[in-house]
Amino acid sequence: MNPQTPPIEDPELAAAIAERDPRRPERPEDQLVMHLERDQLVAETSRPVPPAELSARVRAGLWALRVFVLLVSAMVIYTFFYELH
Amino acid sequence: MATSDTALSPGLALPPLTDEDTARSEDRTRVHDARVHRKRWRLLRLLVGPGILAMLGENDGPSMIAYASDGAEYGLGFFVPFIPLLFAMAFVCQEMCMRIGAVTHRGYGELVLQRYGKVWGWFGAGDLTLTNFVTLIAEFVAIRVGLAYFDLGSGVAVALGLTLVLFTLSGGRYWRWERIVLGMALFNGLFLVAAILVKPDVGDLVGALDFTPFPGGSFNTLLLLLASTIGATVTPWMIFFQQSASADKGMTPSDIKHGRYDSGIGAALAAIFGIGALVAGAALLTHNGAGIEGFAGAGFPEALKSVAGSAAGTVFALGLIEAGGVAILTISASTAYAAGECVGVSHSFNNSPRNAGVFYAANVGIALLAAVVILIPGAPLLSIALNANILATVLLPVSLVLMVMLANDKGLMGPWANRRVTNVIGITVIAFVGICGAAYGIDSFLLSTHVITG
Repeated sequence: MNPQTPPIEDPELAAAIAERDPRRPERPEDQLVMHLERDQLVAETSRPVPPAELSARVRAGLWALRVFVLLVSAMVIYTFFYELH
Repeated sequence: MATSDTALSPGLALPPLTDEDTARSEDRTRVHDARVHRKRWRLLRLLVGPGILAMLGENDGPSMIAYASDGAEYGLGFFVPFIPLLFAMAFVCQEMCMRIGAVTHRGYGELVLQRYGKVWGWFGAGDLTLTNFVTLIAEFVAIRVGLAYFDLGSGVAVALGLTLVLFTLSGGRYWRWERIVLGMALFNGLFLVAAILVKPDVGDLVGALDFTPFPGGSFNTLLLLLASTIGATVTPWMIFFQQSASADKGMTPSDIKHGRYDSGIGAALAAIFGIGALVAGAALLTHNGAGIEGFAGAGFPEALKSVAGSAAGTVFALGLIEAGGVAILTISASTAYAAGECVGVSHSFNNSPRNAGVFYAANVGIALLAAVVILIPGAPLLSIALNANILATVLLPVSLVLMVMLANDKGLMGPWANRRVTNVIGITVIAFVGICGAAYGIDSFLLSTHVITG
């Protein structure tokens, strides 16, 4: 982990970051298969990544964004058809 | 192909390799050799592609006509510094996409779907398909405008666009597709040639760098100008395209530095060529340029011919054909990546049509549908083309917000996650785009419902 970054309190997140640390000598994804990193093989990328755990605040923010974009899009589409006439 | 340096430790079983892996490994072998032998220019040449294609692909037909219209209506002031500023914003966004693709080896659509759920995944894909479809119609219209200068009609435009799509898909390799489209995209420089042919005053160009004079007109016109110019520079398809193409190309974290060069070169070229279209359009400022509005500006090449000679008109017309053609290829590709990623099937140029049917069908299908629309007699092509950039701007904040969230996801990105300064710039870009798009959408709606008057 970059020594300048603050310590990560969540142990799962800290483990995930350490897993991807480029200075970690034995990272499995760095092992080459025909010059491809192991984690870029189709067999590896076909495996889905786990869903993110979003806080209630982030979820609310995303819902607000969704409503906002739908409303403004509806306005633009209405204006488009209005101008056609 | 280097099968000899398989370097798995004995404890790890080799996963099954596919034809896609084999094809990608050939490209990576060239990158590996260039890196080992310290051939810097060859390494750069091998690793550039997605960034330049995203940036020059966005210098598409409607965008170049929008820049030329700006020049014809308002002159050089404000836009000469504004266009590079927008491409600097685009660079920030595209660098994030490239980095996410290189680190995760996955496209934007599949990461959003898997990380944030099906609703967001399909929302993003639907948003992309809608804006891509509308934009593709505008690209065919741009080709038609260019061809009209040579007395050729819609049928030729459709045939040319679809032939390009089928030809570039025929190789079954990402590398081949990328190099053909990259070669075509460099002809975006025709707009720079057009600018030189109209013999602009260098003093006027330099004098315009202070953002003045600010465009006049009503508040709604100003918002339309901002929203359409932003939509001509940063769009949802670029985000899908560059992340997926970076993964398809086989980029890895060790290539991020060159990926930044790629995006930077693309942004610089796109800004220069965009200013070229603006300068060419500005030659019409004192020749009723304001009368040649948007896509009614089928007369742009003809008008340039009468003001600056037939060479300028011909080069501008050829530039429009090139801009439309390249954008059809890149925008169709972004749709295909999104379709394959969201359906959860193979989505790579390195796979054959037999093994990646959805990917190839989406690529050809969306171009075909757009082509059919421009052949419909009386279709409101002008309105569709003018609204394509606006719709892209309005829908863009969703793609940008999810992209910044992915780039900050330390579980995915590890040490390559966004730094604070990147986040500050990214959030500023999102706020700017969101405010401009929403302001135009709301103001136009209130005007059309007569709640306010212009």
